[in-house]
Amino acid sequence: MVRIVGGVTLVALAAGLVMAFGVAPREVTQGNVQRIMYVHVPSVWVAYLAFAVVLVASIVYLARRVDGADRLAHASAEVGVLFTGLTIATGSIWGKPTWGTWWTWDARLTSVSILFVMYLGYLLLRGMIEDPDQGARYAAVLGIVAAFNIPLVHFSVYWWRTLHQPPSLMKPGPGTMPGVIVAALMVNFVAFSLLYVYFVAKRVNLLRREAEAAA
Amino acid sequence: MPDNWGFVLAAYGLAAVVLIAYWRRLVRRERATGAEHRPTVRRA
Repeated sequence: MVRIVGGVTLVALAAGLVMAFGVAPREVTQGNVQRIMYVHVPSVWVAYLAFAVVLVASIVYLARRVDGADRLAHASAEVGVLFTGLTIATGSIWGKPTWGTWWTWDARLTSVSILFVMYLGYLLLRGMIEDPDQGARYAAVLGIVAAFNIPLVHFSVYWWRTLHQPPSLMKPGPGTMPGVIVAALMVNFVAFSLLYVYFVAKRVNLLRREAEAAA
Repeated sequence: MPDNWGFVLAAYGLAAVVLIAYWRRLVRRERATGAEHRPTVRRA
């Protein structure tokens, strides 16, 4: 099953590249550098998704002590950290030609960095505690607390004066982007979401095997 | 505005390298745990 998801993901990622470079037009103001959006925005979407899954799985674990929920939270946090790091890196590369700087302590960039560090701390916490049950319990609490940072990241562009632009897609009201750009972005959203499912499924299997080996 | 293809290449290249590296790490660990799990077959 995981292998099938992997195959479909590969096809979707190829379609995403075709949409980003072959179908989507050159943006008038920024030029071709705007094509970084097709990897940057889906990455942050996957990070949001991953940390939302950590939140739900952590609540389920604390309520019912299901090992599967703990493994899902662990796997999802790891993949979320990976995609948050990718979001920061691609954003920085996009920022240099458009803003003239690799980095600025802007509200959006700062809040994403805090999000990244918090979930990195979540993974470190899991690695530091030897008793698996205690580690899972502490991590679940941190997984719930850290999730409060997600709305802070998303709405930071509205709450503070920032260099980062407000969202063009994940916002209420009618969209302002041309249909072809939205379509290219949607294909990449699907491809990255599938990649998230594939990575998490593989990581959950691995965690289960490791737990069985340790038992 | 100039096209800055170098930046586009850097962003996509970095994403590809990071994602492939993570996938390879998962596969390697899967093989390692699979090898640990595999029962030893003894010939009579």
